[in-house]
Amino acid sequence: MSPEIAGLTGFFVMVGLMLFGMPIAATMMGVGLVGGMIAFGSAFFVSTASIAWGTLSENGLTAIPLFVLLGELLLRSGMADKMYQAFAAWFGRMPGGLLHTNIGCCALFAATSGSSVATAATVGTVALPSLQRHGYRMSDSLGSLAAGGTLGILIPPSVNMIIYGSMTNTSVGKLFIAGIIPGLLMAGAFMLYIGIKAVMMGDPVRHEKVPLADRMRALRSVTGPLVIFGMVMGSLYLGIATATESAAIGVVAALVLIAGTGKLSRELLGACFLSSARTTGMILLIVLAAFVLNLALSLTGVGEALTKWVTGFGLSQVQMLIALIGFYLVLGMFMDTLSMMVATIPLSFPVASALGVDPIWFGIFIVIMCELGLITPPVGMNLFVVQGIRPDRGGLEDVIRGVLPYAIIMIVVTLLLIAFPQIVLWLPGQM
Amino acid sequence: MKRFESLGAWLFGAVFVSLSFAVALEVTLRKVFNVSLQGVDELGGYALAIGAGIAFSLALVARAHIRIDLMHERLPRGMRILMNLVSVWSLAALAVSLAFLAWFALSDSISMNSTTQTPWATPLRYPQAVWFAVLAVFAAVGIGSALRALRFALAGDGARVEREYGPRGTREELQEELADIKARGVTPVVTPSAGGER
Repeated sequence: MSPEIAGLTGFFVMVGLMLFGMPIAATMMGVGLVGGMIAFGSAFFVSTASIAWGTLSENGLTAIPLFVLLGELLLRSGMADKMYQAFAAWFGRMPGGLLHTNIGCCALFAATSGSSVATAATVGTVALPSLQRHGYRMSDSLGSLAAGGTLGILIPPSVNMIIYGSMTNTSVGKLFIAGIIPGLLMAGAFMLYIGIKAVMMGDPVRHEKVPLADRMRALRSVTGPLVIFGMVMGSLYLGIATATESAAIGVVAALVLIAGTGKLSRELLGACFLSSARTTGMILLIVLAAFVLNLALSLTGVGEALTKWVTGFGLSQVQMLIALIGFYLVLGMFMDTLSMMVATIPLSFPVASALGVDPIWFGIFIVIMCELGLITPPVGMNLFVVQGIRPDRGGLEDVIRGVLPYAIIMIVVTLLLIAFPQIVLWLPGQM
Repeated sequence: MKRFESLGAWLFGAVFVSLSFAVALEVTLRKVFNVSLQGVDELGGYALAIGAGIAFSLALVARAHIRIDLMHERLPRGMRILMNLVSVWSLAALAVSLAFLAWFALSDSISMNSTTQTPWATPLRYPQAVWFAVLAVFAAVGIGSALRALRFALAGDGARVEREYGPRGTREELQEELADIKARGVTPVVTPSAGGER
């Protein structure tokens, strides 16, 4: 069997097992170990030992548990709940009203929280009753929540970027900084769509004008998360701290802020620790499995053969990226996004590098493809989350109808980034 | 099990909270006073290895290791139960392999007397011994749940296998979040309408 055939067979067997409900981490690790041991026997197992220790004692990945913990602290201390009110006061009068609030709030909330389920659940609980009372179409409300919830992995800090950075030896700090402009651009494009649609449909303005003094007062509830976000991103941007160090600073700042409000309790800490340990365990086991799989791919030469095979089609850089959008769009319909990312990077990253795509740019591209996977049926996780919190009893098709325009916007923004890569690369270039 | 989870969670939290304070101190000293504690990076690596080992077990107990339930739901019942058994056994196998890998790494470090290439020149056997210990716990938890699932299946209690070892769907995760939101006392916002309430 030629290496390409072996590689493709392995890949499809792996994806098949995952789709039938095998645990992602066990499947990837199993395929990696079995493949490696067929080629090299027990010697492969021994070299895996040093990879396992090397991966898990790599200080760069320590940023993952720290950022997850930071998100949990902000979420469960209630610091994030109050942001909606502030956003509602500022955006309520724009065409599209509270729908903008959904996007803005999800963007800021998700920027600080690690879990999109938690984000959508919290924002949804806070927002949906009000949206329903003011007569917003349910599909619009649910669509904006589901799409807004995806912004968290693009707007730093982002666990997906840390994983991409460690798998491809790309600077996580630069990836974080690179995510800011595309993240704001994406949020802006979502809001532009909401505004245009509201004007075209002749939607009435549904909210009273809030006096400026009240609006300024409302901003206070946003200060906590903003200060933490500023410390984390500022220390990174100014080169004072690495991603891991900035995460640690964020955790300390959050603990101090929470202690200041008198909410720091045993119960709160216990809940945050348990929840972040579970999330961390889930993420890191998949990452570890991906490293083992990657080792098997590179030692057996299968990875290189596949890269040669794909580049052998002679596609240009732009054609290849457009083909990759199609590939990720389809894969993202069926796979969990984190798993999709770690399972495909060993194949897609070398291809992109061979064609001269910038690694930072490609990281942002991959993250947007993951965002897309979060809202494409049948497996888009955010669809089910917002469906699960809606106060009325409609079908999932409302959510899908509401979210479809956002999926199209994501693809359009991606094409824009392909046409103008400087949108991504300019800010990290200033560091 | 609750006590095991709570102990693990507090250990995990203690590791990363103390690391965070150490790092914050290091960054402050480095930037403001231009002195370095040295080796906080190294400490971060060990924290990760040990914290991850604890976290693997906690995620296993909570069924947080991701499984895609797209096709699973559509399989006939017998197949679903079989898949759940295969899954829990595959995770046990993964946990046992990891413990073996850790054992290899540890015994290598002991026989070669390996130390790190850092100012501390830490003998690798110490952090790796703790790492092996937490992964051995993970392996024990993995085998324990695999045997438990098998026992239910052999006793003909397929429903219990499905309930306790099926993929943890988004719905279930969401229910937990919503319960937590309720416990935190989060309430919907009240926004004034133009021209009063409708």
